[in-house]
Amino acid sequence: MASQTPAIVMDNGTGFSKLGFAGNDAPSFVFPTAIATRGGVSGGGGGSGSGRPAIANKPSYLTGGSGSGGALAAKRGTEDLDFSIGDEALAASAGPGYGIHYPVRHGQVENWDHMERFWSNSIFKYLRVEPEDHYFLLTEPPLNPPENRENTAEIMFESFNCAGLYIAVQAVLALAASWTSAKVADRSLTGIVVDSGDGVTHVIPVAEGYVIGSSIKSIPIAGRDITYFVQSLLRDRGEADSSLKTAERVKEEYCYVCPDMVKEFARFDREPDRFLKHTVTAPNGRSVTVDVGYERFLAPEIFFNPEIYSSDFLTPLPTVVDGVIQQSPIDVRRGLYKNIVLSGGSTLYKDFGRRLQRDIRHLVDARLRASEARSGGAKSGGLDVQVVTHKRQRHGPWFGGSLLGQTPEFRSYCHTKAEYDEIGPSIVRRFALLGGPGST
Amino acid sequence: MLLLDYQNVLIQSLLTERFSGASPVSIDQVVSDFDGVTYHLSTPESKTKILISINVRCFKELVQYGAQDVLEREYGPYIVAPESGYDFSIQIDLESLPADQDAKDDLIRRTSLLKRNSMAAPFERAFDDFMQRQEEASKFTRESAPEGVREGGEVMAIHYRDEEAIYIKSSHDRVTVIFSTIFREETDRIFGKVFLQEFVDARRRAIQNAPQVLYRNEPPLELQGVRGLSDGSNGEVGYVTFVLFPRHLTPQRRQETISHIQTFRDYFHYHIKASKAYIHSRMRRRTADFLQVLNRARPENEEKERKTASGRTFRVQG
Amino acid sequence: MSQSLRPYLQCVRSSLTAALSLSDFASQASERHNVPEIEAASCPEVLLNPLIVSRNENEKVLIEPSVNSVRISIKIKQADEIENILVHKFTRFLTQRAEAFFILRRKAIKGYDISFLITNFHTEDMLKHKLVDFIIQFMEEVDKEISEMKLFLNARARFVAESFLTPFD
Repeated sequence: MASQTPAIVMDNGTGFSKLGFAGNDAPSFVFPTAIATRGGVSGGGGGSGSGRPAIANKPSYLTGGSGSGGALAAKRGTEDLDFSIGDEALAASAGPGYGIHYPVRHGQVENWDHMERFWSNSIFKYLRVEPEDHYFLLTEPPLNPPENRENTAEIMFESFNCAGLYIAVQAVLALAASWTSAKVADRSLTGIVVDSGDGVTHVIPVAEGYVIGSSIKSIPIAGRDITYFVQSLLRDRGEADSSLKTAERVKEEYCYVCPDMVKEFARFDREPDRFLKHTVTAPNGRSVTVDVGYERFLAPEIFFNPEIYSSDFLTPLPTVVDGVIQQSPIDVRRGLYKNIVLSGGSTLYKDFGRRLQRDIRHLVDARLRASEARSGGAKSGGLDVQVVTHKRQRHGPWFGGSLLGQTPEFRSYCHTKAEYDEIGPSIVRRFALLGGPGST
Repeated sequence: MLLLDYQNVLIQSLLTERFSGASPVSIDQVVSDFDGVTYHLSTPESKTKILISINVRCFKELVQYGAQDVLEREYGPYIVAPESGYDFSIQIDLESLPADQDAKDDLIRRTSLLKRNSMAAPFERAFDDFMQRQEEASKFTRESAPEGVREGGEVMAIHYRDEEAIYIKSSHDRVTVIFSTIFREETDRIFGKVFLQEFVDARRRAIQNAPQVLYRNEPPLELQGVRGLSDGSNGEVGYVTFVLFPRHLTPQRRQETISHIQTFRDYFHYHIKASKAYIHSRMRRRTADFLQVLNRARPENEEKERKTASGRTFRVQG
Repeated sequence: MSQSLRPYLQCVRSSLTAALSLSDFASQASERHNVPEIEAASCPEVLLNPLIVSRNENEKVLIEPSVNSVRISIKIKQADEIENILVHKFTRFLTQRAEAFFILRRKAIKGYDISFLITNFHTEDMLKHKLVDFIIQFMEEVDKEISEMKLFLNARARFVAESFLTPFD
């Protein structure tokens, strides 16, 4: 096919899927990774009875009539076409007859039947492309088992006949996305990715394009927790509206990270104009006003002082990041400190990066001073700590994929349909490192 | 999803959002549609002026068949000079939108049908041609009609993909639309054959008023004299012929007919793929069943934990 | 079950049960090796006579016994090219997951669609008669599955064709 067709970049996360074409600066579609199917929530893999959908073996002149519709579909064994994905799925599941499923759990695909249909609909309904004409760049979480890759390849090549496939690790793509930042001088693939989405926050060290799997740490505090925290603060004050939706709006619109919690309280008391009002318009047209106060800086603060929110997880984010680097091989630590990259929606608060950088630097400096003291007079050359924030943080992995997918050499890194037919699914166990050393 | 949409969902949702008064932002996106069509949505001058450009691989052919007229009719005042690298551009200024909501919706609808409208010209021309011929032919009886009337018009070829094309030919009692198809994969070829056989049979069985569908491996008679056709000797290329009868060509129906028949190829391929997906899920279940049977062969010698009286556990050395 | 299928399966069952008398056997060719002799085929004296159970020219089973391993290859019924492609897809799908199936051979013997390799180690930690049950059940169900898939394909094709043509109506 013509060499002009842009590659398709699909980042299927636990919560949201980001779909689009390489070369663009934002995904064309962002919607929940959800699929609504007929017949309520089935028992997943096992299923009832034989677990196989009924087969329509009656000729159509017996079922009579022409035309299409839900009732007819059931008779003809076409339930597998009767589904919707994304926002439509959420809407459909609110009504009767449909059950909602989330095929991706903890970043990994759990239900391949649903995922296959999710992809089918993504490609044909939303992206509107003939997969035979396009190369695909998919993402996977770190530590994804190779069998999952093979399953993905089986679907992409056998069902969809896609022209070529590349599967990249999300953290590596997030690093690539940070190349747009002015702070990044050399385009290295060494760094630490702090990826905070809705459900969980990961700290992932990457050395020269390869994830250091043994040092990954997860933190059970992420976007959803911040929303809950805001909500509880609103509730405590007895605001007129303390729904989850309002809390989310407040979180997204007003929150920022402060340098010091205690001083910030004092500052609020000094400058009353820091208290804001948020107007909520209910669907019925009535509007209520909600005061927005200390939660503006308190909400993101749970990353840095988790004890104000959680009672079982008490390690602040900077300490976790520092710990992860200390656990990594000694020869890459310097590179990791120098390139701490943020990714995901919950890292977008103003001054989040600055605070993280300051706190990590404090930790590092304290350690350096201590070892200088112990060594008796030796001087340390100092350690450079840099947190990289950039404009594409929100959809970091997707943007990194878009960036790499448009490079002229991208196609040579992909495995093609012909190669797959020759070697089989095991071919996707290995990919040459895209954007690594040697490529431009 | 059963039938494919005619419109491009992205353009539709993007314009709907912009038109509803969301604060203007700059856009710069290159997106694809079926059959190698590329759109470029951008806001080059200011955030309120959205430029939508389309690139169709067979645009030259389409222009030959009067695409410019069709597009001018559809997009009249919005047309601007085509952006370089693209074939056709329209620009929508958010500040001078029609005030009326219906008119806005209509503009969104029409814009999202940009691909469909670009490809519509040869169909419209053929349908018009058919009307003329029908009128002419009605003056004669079947036998006495002069050669020219019975012969039918020129074959219009649209090479909309690298290896596939649509051919349209009008005559006095029908319009024939022929799709050449090619399958690069063995599975697809066989599945495709099953599907096409059912297309051929469907009319006989259930839907009497549908267009007649024919499928064969060698070029049909209508395409005699058209150059660059594979003779079908290797069995790879197939020709799907839709015969549209006057009832499909009435002015009330024709727009719908054009939209619908354009989606044929992608619809067809989509369903081949959807069937494969379904067969995959069957195989997954069947494989799980087999595994279950095989695992029954493993004796259940789950070693029970043994405890001493004091509660300590130990394992027998085997 | 059709008239000719029952004796066919019965025959496979008895032949297989008889063939599955395996014992541990160290390789005679190289020291401290223990390989399935039927695959190595280096010592003709430990190979037994292969045997074909055939229902018709399209459906047959090849049983190749040896002192410590048995290879069973099945040719699945394929009446036309649709069944052919479906069988191909299905067996490929299964062999892709051979890891989980223990006794499934990753590649079929030439002329057959799918092969199993049962060694003395398998019979030691799995119940022999259940293994035979598995093979028999596999043979029964695979035919059923292929014909169901074919039915599905035809039904789907019809449905798809009618749905496309209906709006013209």
